[in-house]
Amino acid sequence: MDADLIVVIVVATALAFDFTNGFHDTANVVATSISTRAMAPSVAVGYAAVLNFAGAFVSLEVAATVANDVVQVSTDPEFLLVVFGGLVGAIAWNLITWYFGLPSSSSHALIGGIVGAAFIAGGADSVKGDGLLGKVIMPALVAPVLAFTVAGIAILLIYKIVGSARPGPATRGFRGGQIVSGGLLALAHGTNDAQKTMGVITLALVANGTLSQSDFHVPTWVVVSAATAIALGTYVGGWRIIKTMGSRIHKMDAAQGFAAQGAGSAVILASSHVGFPLSTTHTISGAVIGSGAAKRLSAVRWGVAGNIVVAWVLTLPAAALIGGLTYSLTRLFGTGALGPVVVSLLILAGAWVLFMRRAQTARAVAEV
Amino acid sequence: MLAVIDWDALLEVVWVSFVAGIGVTAAFAAGLLGATRWVDYGRSGRGGEAIIYGALALIGFGLVATAVVFGIVTMIDR
Repeated sequence: MDADLIVVIVVATALAFDFTNGFHDTANVVATSISTRAMAPSVAVGYAAVLNFAGAFVSLEVAATVANDVVQVSTDPEFLLVVFGGLVGAIAWNLITWYFGLPSSSSHALIGGIVGAAFIAGGADSVKGDGLLGKVIMPALVAPVLAFTVAGIAILLIYKIVGSARPGPATRGFRGGQIVSGGLLALAHGTNDAQKTMGVITLALVANGTLSQSDFHVPTWVVVSAATAIALGTYVGGWRIIKTMGSRIHKMDAAQGFAAQGAGSAVILASSHVGFPLSTTHTISGAVIGSGAAKRLSAVRWGVAGNIVVAWVLTLPAAALIGGLTYSLTRLFGTGALGPVVVSLLILAGAWVLFMRRAQTARAVAEV
Repeated sequence: MLAVIDWDALLEVVWVSFVAGIGVTAAFAAGLLGATRWVDYGRSGRGGEAIIYGALALIGFGLVATAVVFGIVTMIDR
């Protein structure tokens, strides 16, 4: 009975994380389209939400990686508390970075949280170091640099090709192109990010004995609920982060927006295809910076880009720390459902405080 | 340490990203150049050039559409 209740809490927490993932990462998907005026904000967010939903159905390779290659899966009911601790660590880190307007990675927060909780629960042996290094950390290092390089070369090539065309029609053309590239980016985001939640829910179902460990598959209800949660989160949107991504890194023209979105979606879709649980945030940040730096190094606001890098470096260890602490806190109440209930109430209260403080700050700024 | 990295998968990501990210954006830019020139030459009565640039627009945008559909179908088929 207790285990079933914990599974329900874990699934609800995973879907809440998925919602915050969509909420937090809306910026990655729509910022360039909005900042270049390719789409109105409300249209861009709605469009991204629909394609995020569709993207979740495209592939299950990333879900398999998260479920099989990051931590040792156990059918011990206590493993449910590990998954729960990891999820809360990721949500807490997402909320903190949202509060400060930093586009950090929800994906790395999730994986960091799970790894931290597993490490505290079972020691180093409970973490699959090979999978973590080969399928998470290495792609995490390569992807932003790859997106930076591809976007940089793409924008130089674009300027070379359309340089002699009349600027007005060319700009309108690239804005039209951004409808396609922005759509692809939203699809790519749904494909890679929604699958991480599917992988975590699958982990919980295996731990509970609902699914067999040897016969990996993601149940349809998990796919549909994860797709819905990320799409809803995307629709609600993270406007504060949109501002950072869309205009604070550098002012983009439509061609740069198109190149950044095209490069970002190519890297994310290719990674999803081979099952790398990539950070969409880091990838599109790399592409945005690459498209600016290739045109003019001084066009990039390197201070803002530096803040993004700091959040990037901090995410895995910080989420791991919070995940480990959450697991420890939950275990103080034993292995039953009381711990997850108490911690869920605490995280809800914390989220409420952060939202209220943000609303107060926004009102104060509006009054000035 | 290097042995744990799936180099085949990583290299696939790198080359696909280069080909798709640069190829598709360049094809779209070529299509856009073709379309704008097709309009310009068409208006000024230079039919020959208009046809050539119209063909460039068709090829450029056609390549983009084909690449997008191919990419999505490949992912779904896996």
